[in-house]
Amino acid sequence: MQNEIVLAVDGLGKTYPNGTEAVKGVSFDLRRGEIHAIVGENGAGKSTVMKMLYGLEQPTTGRIAVAGQQVRLTTPQDAIDLHIGLVHQHMMLLESLSVAENIALGAEPVRGPFLDRAKMNREVAEVAATYGMNIDPAATVARLAVGQKQRIEILKVLYKGARILLLDEPTAVLTPQETRDLFKAIRGLTELGMTVVFITHKLVEVKEVADRVTVMRDGQVTGRVEPRDVTVAKIAEMMVGRPLSHKPAERRSPDLPASVTARDLTLIGLDGRVRLNRVSFDIRPGEILGVAGVEGNGQAALGQVLTGLLEPAEGAARIGGTVFTGRGVAAARALGIAAIPEDRIHDGIVTDMSIEENFVAAEYRNPRFSRRGIRDRNAVNAATREMIAAFGVKTTSEQTPIGALSGGNMQKVVLGREFTTQPRFLIAAQPTRGVDIGAAEGLRQQLVDLRDAGTAVLLISADLEETIALSDRIIVLFKGQIVAHFRAEEADENVLGLYMLGAERKAGANGCIDQQPEHAHV
Amino acid sequence: MTIVEFFQTLLTASFFAAILRAATPMVFAALGGLISELAGVINVALEGMMLIAAFFGVVGSTWAASVWPEASPLFFALVGAAAGLGAAMLLALVLAVFYLEFDANLIIAGVGINILAAGLTVFLLFSISGDKGSSAGLTSFALPTLPLRLLQDIPVIGGLFAGANGNGHHVLVYAALLAIGLVWVFLHKTRLGLRLRAVGENPDACRTVGVPVKRIQYVAILLSGFLAGLGGIYLSMGYLTLFQANMTAGRGFLALAAIFLGARSVFGTAGAAAFFGLASVFAAQLGLLDVPTAVVFSVAPLVTILALLAFAWRRQRRTRAQVAAELITLNARRKDTPDAQA
Amino acid sequence: MSSIAGGQGSVLQEVIKTLVVIVIGLLIGMVIVLFISEEPTKVFDAILTGPLPSASTLDDGTVRWRGMTRFGTFLEDSITLALVGLAVAIPFRAQQFSLGADGQMFLGALASAVVSIYLPLPGIVLIPLAFLAAVIAGFAWGWLPGVMKARAGANEIVTTLMLNVIAIQFFIYCVTFLMLDRQAGFIVTPFFQDAAILNPLIHRTNVTWMIAVAPLVCLLAYLFLSRTNMGYELRVVGQNPAFGRRMGMPVDRTVALSMALGGAAAGMAGFHIANAILKRLPSDFPAGLGFEGIVVALLARNDPRLILPAALFYGYLRAGAQVMERTTDVSREMVLVVQAIIILLIVSENLLPRLGQWIGLGRSAR
Repeated sequence: MQNEIVLAVDGLGKTYPNGTEAVKGVSFDLRRGEIHAIVGENGAGKSTVMKMLYGLEQPTTGRIAVAGQQVRLTTPQDAIDLHIGLVHQHMMLLESLSVAENIALGAEPVRGPFLDRAKMNREVAEVAATYGMNIDPAATVARLAVGQKQRIEILKVLYKGARILLLDEPTAVLTPQETRDLFKAIRGLTELGMTVVFITHKLVEVKEVADRVTVMRDGQVTGRVEPRDVTVAKIAEMMVGRPLSHKPAERRSPDLPASVTARDLTLIGLDGRVRLNRVSFDIRPGEILGVAGVEGNGQAALGQVLTGLLEPAEGAARIGGTVFTGRGVAAARALGIAAIPEDRIHDGIVTDMSIEENFVAAEYRNPRFSRRGIRDRNAVNAATREMIAAFGVKTTSEQTPIGALSGGNMQKVVLGREFTTQPRFLIAAQPTRGVDIGAAEGLRQQLVDLRDAGTAVLLISADLEETIALSDRIIVLFKGQIVAHFRAEEADENVLGLYMLGAERKAGANGCIDQQPEHAHV
Repeated sequence: MTIVEFFQTLLTASFFAAILRAATPMVFAALGGLISELAGVINVALEGMMLIAAFFGVVGSTWAASVWPEASPLFFALVGAAAGLGAAMLLALVLAVFYLEFDANLIIAGVGINILAAGLTVFLLFSISGDKGSSAGLTSFALPTLPLRLLQDIPVIGGLFAGANGNGHHVLVYAALLAIGLVWVFLHKTRLGLRLRAVGENPDACRTVGVPVKRIQYVAILLSGFLAGLGGIYLSMGYLTLFQANMTAGRGFLALAAIFLGARSVFGTAGAAAFFGLASVFAAQLGLLDVPTAVVFSVAPLVTILALLAFAWRRQRRTRAQVAAELITLNARRKDTPDAQA
Repeated sequence: MSSIAGGQGSVLQEVIKTLVVIVIGLLIGMVIVLFISEEPTKVFDAILTGPLPSASTLDDGTVRWRGMTRFGTFLEDSITLALVGLAVAIPFRAQQFSLGADGQMFLGALASAVVSIYLPLPGIVLIPLAFLAAVIAGFAWGWLPGVMKARAGANEIVTTLMLNVIAIQFFIYCVTFLMLDRQAGFIVTPFFQDAAILNPLIHRTNVTWMIAVAPLVCLLAYLFLSRTNMGYELRVVGQNPAFGRRMGMPVDRTVALSMALGGAAAGMAGFHIANAILKRLPSDFPAGLGFEGIVVALLARNDPRLILPAALFYGYLRAGAQVMERTTDVSREMVLVVQAIIILLIVSENLLPRLGQWIGLGRSAR
């Protein structure tokens, strides 16, 4: 029974109409009652495989067999009928509806055309009880905590009779407590004979919970292992394709007074939740301060406060003694603050406009580019050409719409734009996210060069290796508070991980340089 | 007319009937607009759908009378009503196909539908009757009024069911009142209603659980056309018994505003539509008092705008209060746990 | 929601698509005429050549022009259409669905009328002042919903439609009660002072120097969008407001400004109708022109450089329709039907691919 194959994938491939080969000849099988992890970097093709298994996308080559029968999955309904359920990376909940309505949607019990609410609530409660999940079917979803919402996502697929659960990065937004609960819950499911597929790039979790691991890189399977047989480093090597060169940038801690000083930054979100709780740190000119943390613990909020997008409820950050927070983006930029936004497509570029018009967006009011409100298009053009050359942007013309470039080249333009402003302080959020490895290395080097030129840098990255490799000092955010502060050479992923998960905390930690970080202890 | 007389008229059954008459087309259209709005499809074309229904209601009844001269006027009216509703739903289908299949911009396509209706009705009216202003040259038939004697005999409130001249209200006036309840039941008690609201809130979430988003949006737009069509045929087969060029006179746009004024709820929307009806009756009454109608006609749109601003203001104030309250508790907690102090 | 900001795809592709859509719209119109009219050739002739004047040589050798009035109507209408087209196109570039051109035009005309009737000034001061009053009135009436949108998130479709009603009622109130010419026999203001009335450039028409102003305003709008910082902000905010905010652009002000500038253009249209064409304001001043601006803006793909050709095309069609109505058995509302078809086709981003798909499906149906 333990070895019964419930789903097999053979030679699966997906080529998009624009020619992108997202998945190439992937084969693996799933056994009843196992937790099967699929790991890989961003863009390795994990999510595309999931979408094909759930009928959201159709493979261009290869076969999918469920319980030995070859199947065609053209809509999610096909997958649901075959007892396959997908839990999305992003919550797919209807906030204004009740828990039961969310869970039953798509398979609501009815009497004639009418909803049978009593039956719906009863069934939902039953399913929740069966799988040991504690929820109130009548509660409105908007009022629930993230961990509870995750449980509803899982119940949604269980309610529809799923026996194979596909979980796409389920822990990305969970606290460690919630993560532990989740693992306990899915372990319980497999004991009831369910099969769980679990996508992640957090290798510690894989080691902790998975029975088998399939590793993917560049759309291909590069390894099939049982985690108890291998080390995390070995899996990482299969993911990245080369031994990780833990070769950090040369550390610097210039003996200069701090140029950026943040004190007691506190932010309360529109929903009344505390996003930042008295965050204090210093950054010297020519220094990179890394921010580590599980997504949703305040990193994004910190970036938005420092760029001037959000006004802190308390506290302020200064540059050269002048307050730059809480006064709007334009005021902050005028003081030499620059930012690489986390979501490049949404916040970093205008896809339909030319490289040139994207490049000038941060400085169009500078006398170099406009006088009395009239733009000097020749100057913009010349500066854009310079930037294209300096950053090695691959394009035929500076008039090309930026949306036509690859992710890496778009990000080069974004970096080029921000660097050209000669910032005194750069907030770099996920600077290499979704960029291929070659381009990422170049971007990192450019960050280091900027630091060496004397800019203070705050690096916010979900990629811990990147944070450790680039930063001079590192702070860890947990629930909006700084819970630890390290010199980068003293930090390693395991230690950071403990703090990120809230398992350890240093009382009253902050990132100020007058309080030099203590040595890390485990 | 004196002020006293003015207020006396306000308290009569015929005044109540006048409000119902004025509110009925707007209630229908607003409910229709609400259904598509809740499905995530803002319907700017309510005006055009009403207009086309009003026109084909008249033309349909005239045509029926010419083809089956032996049949009863009620039959002619029913044929006309079916033609009007069919035309409105056909127009809704055009909007749906252009929006859902051809990715047309919803708002501009809606404006296009309005222009189509305005042009087509006058164009066809001229071709049929040789008149561009109204269908006065055609003999058309109205849907009947419905006397509810039992209710009318109830003392005190019985007068409310008397209608303008004791013969009860128009059948579509009752239908509009009924529609408020039916739409509420549809949206909140049926499976399709739940799915429709879900599609409007988060179509991606619906797609992943196998809810057919596009099909539900088709249904919502068609229902919206049906209800707007009821409002339209009331105008030409009840309120009046003929078609006039542009006889909707902006009612479809007011209906759209009623949805926002009613905070996207069934009863709020119907209430706002009824308020607009009330305002227009007041306008007529105040005209007799020498208050310029222009001033009164501005009341409804002004209230709508002020209400939108008040909603926003309340939202902002609530958010600010929430943030302030959280800050206070946060600071109180910090005092309790000096550990967290920097 | 699909974008209406324009600027996607190559210019040539867009122009070809637009021309194809126009041809389809006209063809559908012709088919309808074939069904409904008993004299279709006369209809086509009226639409196609109706607006043009004809010359005939008299016995004494002098050339006499006929049909100058309707040729004038064509040009006058085109000026109005170009200005209301611009009034729609500018907010559309900022992705604001302003439907308020109508109300802005009414208030522009009203403001101009107040100056033109009551201020005893010489023409050289009076006319620019009336023009300015119209522009300011339109600007303010556009700015209002802009601020409501930017500050309070009030849906601009609803606010502009409501503000239209208020503006039109206010206009009617002013004409009926405050500015009424009691001798006229119908509800209308007195004639403007002679000094305030624009002189025709062509005899027996109302074609005035506004024929130079309209293209000039289009040119200025083009230069504004492409060469100024504010125009750049407007385009960026239209395409991606979140990005604009991140770059420190005044997003709220830009949203309000886009609607206010549209209002200013609509105000100019009001001035044109008041001081060049009507010379006094009747209470039944033509409503609905603001919506006609939408088709002009769409035909021009919201590009100010293409507004003028689009307005001339549509103005010609309208003038031809008037001739058609006078000389044949088809009413001019025919053009509204063609207009609606053009609007629907032109905003359909996915029309040809989807039609191709349907035809393809029909062939290879499983």
